[in-house]
Amino acid sequence: MKEGFRQAMAWLHTWTGLIFGWLLFAIFLTGTLSYFKDEISHWTQPEVRRHALDPVASLGLAQRYLEANAGHAERWMIRLPNAREAALEVSWREPGSGRRGGVSKPLDAHTGQPVEVRDSRGGEFFYRFHFQLQMPHPWGRWLATFCAFIMLLGLVTGIITHKKIFKEFFTFRPGKGQRSWLDGHNAIGVLVLPFHLMISYSSLVIFMYMVMPASIMASYGGSTEGYFNDLFGREEVPKVANAAAPLVPLASLYAQVQQQVPGAAMGYVQVYNPGDRNARVSFTQSVAESIAYQRSATWMFDGATGQLLTQGAPESATMMTAFSVVGLHMGNFAGPWLRWLYFVFGIAGTAVIGTGLVMWLGKRQLKHAKRERLPGELRLVEVLNIAGMSGLLLAVAGFFWANRLLPMAWPGRADWEVNSFFLVWLVALVHAVLRPGRKAWGEQLALGALAFALLPLLNGLTTGQGLNHSLVAGDWAMAGFDLTALGTGLFLAWAAGKMLRAPKSVAKRAPRAPRATVDSTEVSGC
Amino acid sequence: MLSVALIAFAGFAALCMAMDRHFSELLGRKPGSGQLRLLRCAGWLLLALSLAIAMHLRGWAHGLVEWIAVSMAGVTLWVFGMPYQPRLLLGLAVISLVLGPLLAALAR
Repeated sequence: MKEGFRQAMAWLHTWTGLIFGWLLFAIFLTGTLSYFKDEISHWTQPEVRRHALDPVASLGLAQRYLEANAGHAERWMIRLPNAREAALEVSWREPGSGRRGGVSKPLDAHTGQPVEVRDSRGGEFFYRFHFQLQMPHPWGRWLATFCAFIMLLGLVTGIITHKKIFKEFFTFRPGKGQRSWLDGHNAIGVLVLPFHLMISYSSLVIFMYMVMPASIMASYGGSTEGYFNDLFGREEVPKVANAAAPLVPLASLYAQVQQQVPGAAMGYVQVYNPGDRNARVSFTQSVAESIAYQRSATWMFDGATGQLLTQGAPESATMMTAFSVVGLHMGNFAGPWLRWLYFVFGIAGTAVIGTGLVMWLGKRQLKHAKRERLPGELRLVEVLNIAGMSGLLLAVAGFFWANRLLPMAWPGRADWEVNSFFLVWLVALVHAVLRPGRKAWGEQLALGALAFALLPLLNGLTTGQGLNHSLVAGDWAMAGFDLTALGTGLFLAWAAGKMLRAPKSVAKRAPRAPRATVDSTEVSGC
Repeated sequence: MLSVALIAFAGFAALCMAMDRHFSELLGRKPGSGQLRLLRCAGWLLLALSLAIAMHLRGWAHGLVEWIAVSMAGVTLWVFGMPYQPRLLLGLAVISLVLGPLLAALAR
């Protein structure tokens, strides 16, 4: 009975893992990149210069620019520069332009002049892709959420399948073929388990309103907007009075907030009905300030008199729990070293999925080791493995190459960066179909090694902000990106070397095959 | 937080050595049962101590999150480094055991 249960779990682990593995790999990899969303955006828009943070001066510059250029807008939004985002971002919406119509300009935080940046989605592309999968609106989110559920299921069934979780807690035996892959898969899975569980469970909490909407629908009917307004404590803003009244200096309102919470960094400032008697100004604390989103950390002012009207409603215990879980997923609160650990653990999650996919095939390949060709279904898995893993890495590199090589004035430039990503991925798929397995792996990894390792050079040549500049100037986001690309290139070169030295390792593995099969059936089915 | 990371790393190293197989692999001799028990107690104590320091330094929410992060990183380094550089890791564990508490005392 007990063995039957474990085998059933192993079966579930094996097959859900296979079917959703490629998608999960892509979600995890792009999600991992998203921990450096702002740093990636900084690299993809190198025109923005970093200056010392001065929120009071920034607010003054933003207000001056918006009053001169968007005096009749119905709403302004100002994102203050912070440790990770150098630009002073202002955006506004003209009256009657609808929900999506808005203008956004990055300003130089020192001069307050708009910066002419190249059109690029930067880190935002990877971030959006990891939960929307480039699909039409609700479907990508649904699929990504379902994948999160499968990941959680994979973790639970994986723990049940893995018999000796404590006995082999510290075990990794390299150089033993399938055995080592299984050890690696198990060890990364178990040692980083708190992260894996947190990430997959919190994804479900993030889209809880979509997955389990019954209670929301019961109280709010069909509109989730009312629910979100209550949840995030959004204030009603009065209609425009059509009576001109100058807006108080935003810096004076900032000073009022600072009196209440000394030293608190502000994230967004929104101005409704600017220049009107019914102007309203809201300050929202930066999300980097606490693990959980804090709706109480917002302040609403009368923009004409400068009087503080309301402060965000306090959170209930349930809300704090949910916001904390979501905050842990996003990692907005993480400083540099914790952010790097997030990144490393994200790669660990990606590696668990990748090793699982490799093992599924490896175990079945052993049975056909003597035959010339793999059976069709195994060949399909092999092709998808190659395109899904090394192909995706190539696609990521392709995005960054396009960012540096597409002409600045190219129409639809940002879209073409995204297109390059998918085109490279498609070419990688075709290549994987045409070339034999190990060669395809080796060639793609080798090309990936070149593509990543040369990125710092390309950056230096096209922008003049290569490592020689960024390291001296202390631009750690730029330097960190280039060094990470270089490191990725070296790692891929090492992996490519292993793959291209194929014949020797196959000959070595053959006599071990029987034992490897015994080993892996012991842990039935991974 | 470095002190917490080092103490947690030493803690996991002790817990690993508290297992018969790893003890003989790492030190090249058979352990006594008293030694194993001692190592196990020391390992858990070190982990508890590092958690306490983390919470003391960073408050319970950040402390807990950062403690989990640094201990996961430490134990992963230990497990994947062991087959390649066992002596180096043993040395690191000993250094961590000394340096960790020292840094924690300085941070107060």
